[in-house]
Amino acid sequence: MKIQYKELSFWEKLYLPAIVKGLSITLKHLFMWPKFTMQYPEEKPEPGPRFRGFPKLVKDKEGHPKCVACGLCAAVCPPHAITLQAEETEELSWERTPVSFEIDMGRCILCGMCEEACPVEAIVLSDTYELVINDTRKWVFEIDKLLEDWEGKETELFLKNRK
Amino acid sequence: MAETEQARTLRTEHMFLNLGPQHPGTHGVLRVVLELDGEVVVNAVPHIGYLHRGYEKIGEDRTFHQYIPYTDRLDYLAPLSNNTAYVMAVEKLLDIEVPERTKYIRVICCELARISAHLLGMGIMALDLGAFTVFLWGFREREKLYDIFEKLTGTRLTTSYMRVGGVVMDLYDGFGEDVRTFLNDFPSAVDEMEALLTRNRIWVDRCKGVGVISGEDAVQYGLTGPNLRASGVEHDLRKANPYLVYDRFDFDVPVGTNGDSLDRYLVRMEEMRQSARVVEQALNQLPAGPVNADMPKIVLPTKGKVLTSMEELIHQFKLMSQGFEPPVGEVYSAIENPKGELGFYIVSDGEPKAYRMRIRSPSMINLQAFPHMVRGGMLADAIAIIGSMDLVMGEVDK
Repeated sequence: MKIQYKELSFWEKLYLPAIVKGLSITLKHLFMWPKFTMQYPEEKPEPGPRFRGFPKLVKDKEGHPKCVACGLCAAVCPPHAITLQAEETEELSWERTPVSFEIDMGRCILCGMCEEACPVEAIVLSDTYELVINDTRKWVFEIDKLLEDWEGKETELFLKNRK
Repeated sequence: MAETEQARTLRTEHMFLNLGPQHPGTHGVLRVVLELDGEVVVNAVPHIGYLHRGYEKIGEDRTFHQYIPYTDRLDYLAPLSNNTAYVMAVEKLLDIEVPERTKYIRVICCELARISAHLLGMGIMALDLGAFTVFLWGFREREKLYDIFEKLTGTRLTTSYMRVGGVVMDLYDGFGEDVRTFLNDFPSAVDEMEALLTRNRIWVDRCKGVGVISGEDAVQYGLTGPNLRASGVEHDLRKANPYLVYDRFDFDVPVGTNGDSLDRYLVRMEEMRQSARVVEQALNQLPAGPVNADMPKIVLPTKGKVLTSMEELIHQFKLMSQGFEPPVGEVYSAIENPKGELGFYIVSDGEPKAYRMRIRSPSMINLQAFPHMVRGGMLADAIAIIGSMDLVMGEVDK
């Protein structure tokens, strides 16, 4: 399909009509409602159920991490952000539990492959999106931080909402 | 030019000017060394590599599954399209046929990505040339699309939505309505953008006859995408080599005449309208069914099955820790990205990682024609040409 473009007419070649036309269009937008802009810090967008915020570990009903330290998330993580160490345990109904579990948020790209890989639904990408960390030493999230519920939300419930 | 005696004898030399890498008109970190004679560009040498991240080499160190998020970051204005190009190359290597529904989903995603990329690309071109309003309106429309992408994939930009043999998750309930709502408002939004620019004398003066490249030269330089079509060469992979299900849709490929900046702008504007047509048709034809190919050795099992079935759990462990092993061989697969032909050339030695991953990124090759286009033009034309070529540095530097 050839694009047809007619030469500008004499009237169009005058600068003034083009300026008036442009201004009339933009002026119309001044009175349009609703406004599109979101006043961000006061008004916050609500992420959908599939949203991939920063990763969290899930606890079971007794408060133990559900993680069995199989290492799949660490193996699949494209930027190698996850490091974990396993330990044997006799307190739980399964044998392995992480003694340390670290996610380097300086490397994490929030791709969600750890969640996809996890065979026990122990890691989930939450809906928290404000990821400002001022100190580089705090970029590595330890197991305690990863296990915290965020803004009063139970990780367990969040996982169920995701299709 | 009538030269006076003084002008002939006066010793003059050309001035070298660095355009970028921080110049707002260079779309990222492109640096062009311009050789100027007064205000006329004698020569231009693009210096690239400021955003080099070694993606081809990383491709040799990650499994085929792990490499998907890296493709988001090539042409970061159309990550869904990049994902599709990459997984299609791997699928060609593995000789997988994806389900019908997935093909339609990929077409819809690619075309929406094209619309969003062109909205931003033309918005930025207008911004470079001083029309700030168009940029904001383009951004507003794109924002609506990004809301849909966020609901669909989980993120706005780095989607990583495609998987080898399918997609991560099926479309969400209400996707069709969301896209239709967008498509209803979309034509009037493009018309408004065009009303501000297309027949505006100032815009035409800045673009018409600027950065002309003939069809023959464009082919010689290996231009693809809208930049090639603006020069009058009708070549679109969606028509020339219909991948996915593009042969089932009725759409036109806009072609320009002069190959100048104005034509490149007009071609993209029309392409957005045609993409909207394709999305509309694809939504109407969208079949039901599974989204992932039934190949347990390659495609991940669903979560429910992993939690209950031993066999699926074994597959999950095998796929996630080692990856699948493709046959030995090499494959090249390309699709029509918003910027042009994005191709992946994969050499496999039978390991779960590629032996060699080569990316034919359209912006990189389109950039090579830039000195040819800008030679003889004015300094301000360089900005118009870069804007109209719609370069993305993530893709140029890889």
